[in-house]
Amino acid sequence: MHIPDGFLDIEIAALFYILTIVAVAYSAYKVRSELDDSKIPLMGIVAASIFAAQMLNWPIPGGTSAHFVGGALAGILLGPFAGCLAMASVILVQGLVFGDGGITALGANTWNMAVVDVFIGYYTYRAISSKFNKSVGALIAGWLGITLAALFAGFEVGVSEGFIYGLSITLPVMGIWHGILGIIEGIVTSASVSYVASSRPDVLEKVVKA
Amino acid sequence: MKMKVNKIWVFIGIMVALSPLFAIAADMVGYSEPLENAAEHLGAEEDQDYTGVLPDYSVPGLGSVSGTLISGIVGTLITLGVAVTIGKTVGRKHGDS
Repeated sequence: MHIPDGFLDIEIAALFYILTIVAVAYSAYKVRSELDDSKIPLMGIVAASIFAAQMLNWPIPGGTSAHFVGGALAGILLGPFAGCLAMASVILVQGLVFGDGGITALGANTWNMAVVDVFIGYYTYRAISSKFNKSVGALIAGWLGITLAALFAGFEVGVSEGFIYGLSITLPVMGIWHGILGIIEGIVTSASVSYVASSRPDVLEKVVKA
Repeated sequence: MKMKVNKIWVFIGIMVALSPLFAIAADMVGYSEPLENAAEHLGAEEDQDYTGVLPDYSVPGLGSVSGTLISGIVGTLITLGVAVTIGKTVGRKHGDS
């Protein structure tokens, strides 16, 4: 899911840098009044646990591996704006400290995992959990968030002429693979949300209100 | 509240402690992500000039187990620091608090 340097054309890289800066700045603007002494540590803990969870690469039969991404979970636990900032912290540290995801692709990677995954995840969760329940909402949110994030990654890489494959390959590869792997993402998201709902219901209530 | 926070840190600690096992497992069988698989298939190459301070979650000069473990600990703490710093910076802009 982390796009390395060399896959994206400079125009695409630049476009997604701009989109990401706008989205992150807007999130910072929207969340500034919510960030108090209880929310800031929570944001730190969610970011740190998502970083740790992303270290775990599950081997999938057939030579593929995937790790939990967690954007939807961050959005559900923190709200979309603080969730976006928490995920952006994770992607930034991965890119700058560990070379996971290219510097030129940092905008695109942040867009996919800290904007698309978080916002789609959060609003899907809100729409579904109000009609059914939190577990189902989180399951579908986790799945849809990651699948759309992957499709964005496929799009960014596919429209780049420097990348050998076009959209007709990159979209199905990313969409189908992550659509399948996304089921695990959904299950982990759902389990995490259920756990928080039972142990710290105050966290979730605050977010839904906001 | 205190107890709950500690519980989360225990869980984070377990994930970090397990990370070398996952890294070894994925390495041994040559597993990589769908994006990388697709790229490798027709020979598109990564062109990563900047590899980071701890390239690919390893510590130069250390073995894969200790390197991954240290990367996990360092990365988790840096991420915590970055997110809290962003939170404080953004929150403070709002005004007096």
